[in-house]
Amino acid sequence: MRGDSGLRISHVGLRGIVGRGLTAGHILDFAAAFGTFIEPGRPVVVGRDPRASGRMAWEGVVSALMACGHEVIDLGVVSTPVVQHALQRLDAAGGIAISASHNTADWNALRFLGPRGTYLSTAEAGELLDIYHLRKFRFVAWDQLGGQRFDAGALDRYIDDLAAVFDLPSLRDFRVVVDCCNGTSALILRRVIERYGLDLVLINERVEGVQFAHEPTTSARMVELQLGPLMRPLGAHAGFLFDVDSDRVAMADEQGRGVSEEMMLPLLADHQLSRGPGKIVITNLSSSALLEDVAVRHGGRVLRVPVGRQAAMDALAAYRPEQIAVAGEGTGAVMMPQFRFIYDGIASMFAVLTMMKERGRTLGQLLADYPQYSILKGEVRLESPRVPELLLDLLASYPDGRIDRTDGLRVSWPDRWFHVRVSHTEPIIRVICEQRGAPPQELFETLMDKARSYS
Amino acid sequence: MPREHLLKIGVSGVRGVVPEFLTPSLTLHFAQAFGTYVGRGRVVVGRDTRLSGPMLQHAVNCGLLAAGCDVVDVGILPTPTIQIYVEHIRARGGIGLTASHNPPEYNALKLFNKEGQFFNQYERNELIDLYHQSDFTQATNAEIGYVTTDPGLAKAIHIDRVLAKVDVDRIRRRHFRVALDAVNGAGSVMTPGFLVDSLNCRLDAIAIDPTKVFPRIAEPRPDTLGELAALVLKTGAEVGFAQDPDADRLAIVDENGRVLDNDDVLALAVQRALAVVPGPVVVNLTTSSAIDDIALAFGRKVYRTPVGEANVVETMQAVKAAIGGEGSAGGVIFPAVQLCRDSFTAMAFLLDLMAESGKTVSELVAALPQYVRKSGKVAFAHGRLGGLMQALEEGFPEAEADRSDGLKLLWPDRWVHVRASNTEPILRVFVEAKTEEAAEKLYATSWGLLTA
Repeated sequence: MRGDSGLRISHVGLRGIVGRGLTAGHILDFAAAFGTFIEPGRPVVVGRDPRASGRMAWEGVVSALMACGHEVIDLGVVSTPVVQHALQRLDAAGGIAISASHNTADWNALRFLGPRGTYLSTAEAGELLDIYHLRKFRFVAWDQLGGQRFDAGALDRYIDDLAAVFDLPSLRDFRVVVDCCNGTSALILRRVIERYGLDLVLINERVEGVQFAHEPTTSARMVELQLGPLMRPLGAHAGFLFDVDSDRVAMADEQGRGVSEEMMLPLLADHQLSRGPGKIVITNLSSSALLEDVAVRHGGRVLRVPVGRQAAMDALAAYRPEQIAVAGEGTGAVMMPQFRFIYDGIASMFAVLTMMKERGRTLGQLLADYPQYSILKGEVRLESPRVPELLLDLLASYPDGRIDRTDGLRVSWPDRWFHVRVSHTEPIIRVICEQRGAPPQELFETLMDKARSYS
Repeated sequence: MPREHLLKIGVSGVRGVVPEFLTPSLTLHFAQAFGTYVGRGRVVVGRDTRLSGPMLQHAVNCGLLAAGCDVVDVGILPTPTIQIYVEHIRARGGIGLTASHNPPEYNALKLFNKEGQFFNQYERNELIDLYHQSDFTQATNAEIGYVTTDPGLAKAIHIDRVLAKVDVDRIRRRHFRVALDAVNGAGSVMTPGFLVDSLNCRLDAIAIDPTKVFPRIAEPRPDTLGELAALVLKTGAEVGFAQDPDADRLAIVDENGRVLDNDDVLALAVQRALAVVPGPVVVNLTTSSAIDDIALAFGRKVYRTPVGEANVVETMQAVKAAIGGEGSAGGVIFPAVQLCRDSFTAMAFLLDLMAESGKTVSELVAALPQYVRKSGKVAFAHGRLGGLMQALEEGFPEAEADRSDGLKLLWPDRWVHVRASNTEPILRVFVEAKTEEAAEKLYATSWGLLTA
């Protein structure tokens, strides 16, 4: 997909490289579809990340929503979680967050949110897509057009919500280094420092629209590269790196070692389950089996669903919030019931720090408590028609494991598993396999060779 | 069957009923085409007070940013003020969101080039081609610019230019009692200050709230200015001024509450302008012959153009005109201020004439060359237009014919001008003569030929 225009119109919304694939016309039409889809006559909350194209997209979004008769409540440059929190408080029909999150600066995206700040269900997203494709929008008469107002208080109210769940002043003893990647986390954390006096050392904190200090990838490699050398000299207890939208986060321990993004969910599952034993952890088929170990410790269980936020949202909808401990992915994106299930890296950071505080351990010590797993990930370019053949071949090759065919093929054994699935966004096959202890090198190579034999 | 033009992409830009026909999407694409055409750089965007203005402006901003332009948002301002500002800050161009005198459900994009003038026909055609080709500049994140807001400079620049062309002290000393109807339009944000602070008038104003809808039919005409006429009589004002929603056009009420003929408003302005600047006069074919008489008195030439502000402006530029305008449309174009219709220049000229002469408005009008004008409309069926024109021409073989815009037939003391409307299948018929009787006769004969 490198080199293509990146335009993706799907159940998750609209995204692409601005000017190459994603145009102003797409943005305005999609926002008009959303304005048509949601309940008429009620306000819509809009926020954007600092990308320069965000202003362009914002103008188109506001115009479309006004034309559909919605008042626009503009939050300015804020993270998607701030928009979601604002929606939880306001009597609004929905929200649009303009952010390409962890993509590079040349990307942008529209993310559509329901009345309580939730992501759209698969059925809702499908309906929205249909309206977009039909381009039959529900515009109101010239004297019924919506207005627009700026709400400067959303950031503080979001921090109020965090402070109601986490004892923020108790975290003052920690020195924490944070790489804001020139994004919205800088705005949030500066305010947190002002209000609660936390010892947060912010780097790359200038909010930027065009050039980010580095690719906003929340991986162990990136956090080690950016924060590794700073941790010991600064005497920091933990380090965190956010993407531009601060919905994703990566961690470094006190030694400056990057922590695998796979560890965030088990860590927070442990934290949440220790407060509510026996609850359910929702995750996808590609995340670490460490989750099952953690769940067993607290009498909980793991529900695995296909990859993608949509499947997780649909699974969540089948349970009452108090039955769920946590939901998330191996990418480090985690949702907690306290915040009505939204991916929020800032909340994840405070949950990890709270855990460190409660257990009196450093991040490195916390992580050392868990059994060691090794995960290997690869991808193979494959034409779509060949996918079923590959999957059937693999199914026949591993008859002794536990089979799950809800998203490609996942085969698991007591100490290891693999998952082979088709990417939602690129014409590739993803191969993931994990084993307790040493890396499952041989299994991984066999799977990769098999996949390559079909390409 | 008469077609209603709910959307028109044509000579003066794009105009339509919002948002059903002039949709945010179409507006965005037109703005992006405009941005592509003028190139990367600053584009001034302003609007009149129509309720659809903010919604459309967001779409315009979106399209301009997507084309890699920077937006200079001047908010609610008169169209001439926007045009002057485009030129003053050396922007790439400008877009005015205003449907001028059209009803409130309409809006339009008025397009200005870097001189702050309406696009000429070549520029318009190129832009419309570009729009249809959809081959727009698509700026990447690194190429996308900014939206900045004008700190209020534009009004002062416009007013200073107007004041430089009249005897301000003379006007200020008279402390004129003036009435104003700004139709809650863009004039609301500028005209009261202009009259009171700059020209020291005693002002009684109605409809100067830019947050409200138009309280009357937007076009300032005798039948829409009853309230202003009543205000003039009630307050004993020496003159009443009425603007259209984007304050480019002006109607005048005399001290007796009578609304002046727009041709007389132009004639007064021409009188004033020719006294202060050199150059010929340019008016459209339908404008009164009074202009020829006045120009003759100053030894100046008169050029006639097809109807339409853009046509007048184009010729004015080419011949370096002193002043120009369109009688029936109520527009005074004075290039020493800006090559566009400007109600502020027209107001200042009239007050200056009154201050200089000591005469009342009705006395000034009475001193103008006197003509009688009549006008009307004839509906025609598709395909019949050519035949009607021919019938008229053949009916008056002795007259001099001008076919540059419809058909104008001239005699030394009278004329008839017939042209098809741009927006409806109707013929507009205009007649002017020295006497009521002659005008009546010419009108009746023409009507007979056109409806036979």
